[in-house]
Amino acid sequence: MSPYWPWWAGAVGLALVTIVHTLTTDRSLGVSSAWDRVLHWRSERELERLDEEFTDEQAFADALAAATAEHFGPGAGAPAAPQHFPGQHSPEQYSHAQYPQAQYSQAQFAGDQYPQEQYPQEQYPPVQYTRDDAPAAEPGPATAGSTPVAAPRPAPVVTQAALLVSILLGGWIAAYTSGRFELRFDMGAGFESLVTADPLIMTAVLFAGGILVGFGTRLAGGCSSGHGLSGCGRLRPVSLVATAVFFGTAVAVSFLLWKVI
Amino acid sequence: MRTRGGVLLANIIAGLGLGYTVTNIGFGDYAELNRMFTFQDLRMFLAFAGAVGIIVCVFALLRVRRTPGRIHAGVIPGAMLFGTGWAISGGCPAIPIIQVSSGYLPALVTLVGVVVGMRLCRWANGRYFQLDSGSCGV
Repeated sequence: MSPYWPWWAGAVGLALVTIVHTLTTDRSLGVSSAWDRVLHWRSERELERLDEEFTDEQAFADALAAATAEHFGPGAGAPAAPQHFPGQHSPEQYSHAQYPQAQYSQAQFAGDQYPQEQYPQEQYPPVQYTRDDAPAAEPGPATAGSTPVAAPRPAPVVTQAALLVSILLGGWIAAYTSGRFELRFDMGAGFESLVTADPLIMTAVLFAGGILVGFGTRLAGGCSSGHGLSGCGRLRPVSLVATAVFFGTAVAVSFLLWKVI
Repeated sequence: MRTRGGVLLANIIAGLGLGYTVTNIGFGDYAELNRMFTFQDLRMFLAFAGAVGIIVCVFALLRVRRTPGRIHAGVIPGAMLFGTGWAISGGCPAIPIIQVSSGYLPALVTLVGVVVGMRLCRWANGRYFQLDSGSCGV
């Protein structure tokens, strides 16, 4: 008798976690993306700081309209009388010098991208946060056929760190309450029989495997949670392809370990 | 739940739920993982596939938008590297965390490898690959 959950309980559990997270945050669950953002927290914080400066999109649009009207005269393509709502900034507050159009074009802003002049491509690829390619920041439960809405910004990096710490805690609760928690310096009998029992080789294999996982998930743009659960759940073609390839490769390598090596 | 505090709370709940569920399914157990990948035991495979099936149905019922997602040049080689790493180390980015929390201390080495791999990927993408979408930066 297996000490683990039956398949249907696991399926319901994984689905519940993914669905609740997606519906409540309007974002997809992606562990490798969370890892990557936490690892590069300095640059992520800088991007968040920059983003906060332009939080009020209506005010920004108004500022652009006012600047255009000031430069070319009224009726030059900009909205003649931008709408204002209580509590929003008036266009007079934003001078042309504050928001030069060459630096922050509306197209860049609308796509949630960051000005490339300040952030070299090597550090920040220009399509870093496009709505189609960011598993951690996709539009979530917006219904099909509804008015297009702006993609939510990437979740704050501190929330990503909280996700990783919570996984650690959740895993410990499960292991402790089921009586499976045990501090050990090996990876179990399965690893010893299929891979190696030598501690030195085990360390090298785990390190190399970790590098492949870290490099591969970032190159593919997601992992088993981002592509496998969230992406396949949305029937994203890229996620279906990625999941088929990483599962297929893992099957091939596992057969090699089991039957050949 | 779209505020900073709301997302923080949702991520804490999701993390606790994911860690608890994945551990109880047995994804942290290397022997179970190998049995899944070699089709000796379909329990974990069915758990994963069943979850995807439920998510697809619920998202379709709630009419959650299907985002297109471009298949860029990094998807297939990246997924192959990830699949290889998962099969030999037993860890996708969440699993070494739950292995550590279950007491498998050598999984800390896997975590160090994941960190090195991710940093290496961002560096290599900026310097050599210049992949234009979704890779190394999401």
